[in-house]
Amino acid sequence: MRLLTHNYLQSNVKGTEEGYPLGIVPETVEIEKSPVDRELLLSILPKLNYDAVHQAVAQLRLHCSTLPKLPSTLPENISNDENLVNDLYFVLFDVHVKNGCLVCPATQRKFPIKDGIPNMILHEDEI
Amino acid sequence: MSRPELTGPAAHFYNEKEARKYDSSSRMVGVQREITERAIELLRLDHSQPAYVLDIGCGSGLSGQVLEEKGHFWLGCDVSRDMLLVAQERMHNQAENDDDDDDDDESMDGDSNHNIKKQRKSTGDLMHHDMGTGLPFRPATFDACISISALQWLCYSNSAQQNPRRRLTRFFSSLYTVLKRGGRAVLQFYPETAEQAVLITECATRVGFAGGVVVDYPNSAKAKKHYLVLSFDRNSEQKRKAALKDGLSSAAEEQQSVLVTGASREGTKKAPIRKKKGVKTKEWIVHKKETQRKKGKAVRPDTKYTARRRPTKF
Repeated sequence: MRLLTHNYLQSNVKGTEEGYPLGIVPETVEIEKSPVDRELLLSILPKLNYDAVHQAVAQLRLHCSTLPKLPSTLPENISNDENLVNDLYFVLFDVHVKNGCLVCPATQRKFPIKDGIPNMILHEDEI
Repeated sequence: MSRPELTGPAAHFYNEKEARKYDSSSRMVGVQREITERAIELLRLDHSQPAYVLDIGCGSGLSGQVLEEKGHFWLGCDVSRDMLLVAQERMHNQAENDDDDDDDDESMDGDSNHNIKKQRKSTGDLMHHDMGTGLPFRPATFDACISISALQWLCYSNSAQQNPRRRLTRFFSSLYTVLKRGGRAVLQFYPETAEQAVLITECATRVGFAGGVVVDYPNSAKAKKHYLVLSFDRNSEQKRKAALKDGLSSAAEEQQSVLVTGASREGTKKAPIRKKKGVKTKEWIVHKKETQRKKGKAVRPDTKYTARRRPTKF
């Protein structure tokens, strides 16, 4: 599961008020380096919830300290900051949480991640 | 040919063996690829801009691969974990073949070579999820949505709790929320009957989508393909905004009625007018002659002798 995906995931269990953003408890994290696609990153940046990205990276750094540190807020003209662009692309596309779980902030319901695939299947009583 | 939907839930049908069979059959791959290309054509995406596309029932990632070739990135969800594992392998193999040019990867079909933008590691991601329970994403996440041969699975209930109409409505209303305004969804499905197609279309339009069904090759039973094309009606958006401004709740939105047009709609058949005793009255005979004329049969013109009581029995 990439952090890009995590940025949009929320818990839609019945009756959950604020199921976003999901906390990440990583067990295995893999890095698969790929060439930076600058235009792709700049096009998705406006729609991203940056706070969620920042929080996710902070949670992953507890497990894998080689991840880059991101600023707490996005600077204005980010297209000039090459390092930040590269770091953001890396963090969103190249970091894969292979095993672990996602935790709903409101209900603490755990969504397991296995082999890089998060399991968002709801139980009968949660629909 | 029996339908797989009748055998049980999708997650049970697409087990590991079936998933491998599905992905390795070159005919299946070819057909699915063709359907995906057509669906992408109906989506009218701007291929110069990478779009975030949701792939419902992504299965073994065939459709996701086509999306990537056009330069978009995607998130696929499927209820069968075995299919998703095959998809992962496919994405992994694609990434490995990325570096060598002389590969014999099945994805390098002759006809799609000119469409392939720079092949890079897969920008798709996968999720294990049941579409009938609603999509767990925040609002306006996706630029577009695509679904290949998956939607009909929602029409079959596999347990007492599963109600097809409820699942369909749940799915479509969550799709309405997670698609950004101005986005479009194209969902190819195989309806077993016309009623199923109507049910699916009804549930989609009731939640506020505009659009309808495109049928390719309508005259061939085997080749026929149904594409549900959904978009956001600009007028209804304005009406909705106006209603919200007036303080009405969203539950007071107008229900769009379903317009199902097509040759399959039953003609305006009225019950033949009969007297209580069942005797053939003049109205009935005249009506019957009109019906026959409409069918194109040779019918005598109506005169004063039409339906005259004959003096002797014929």
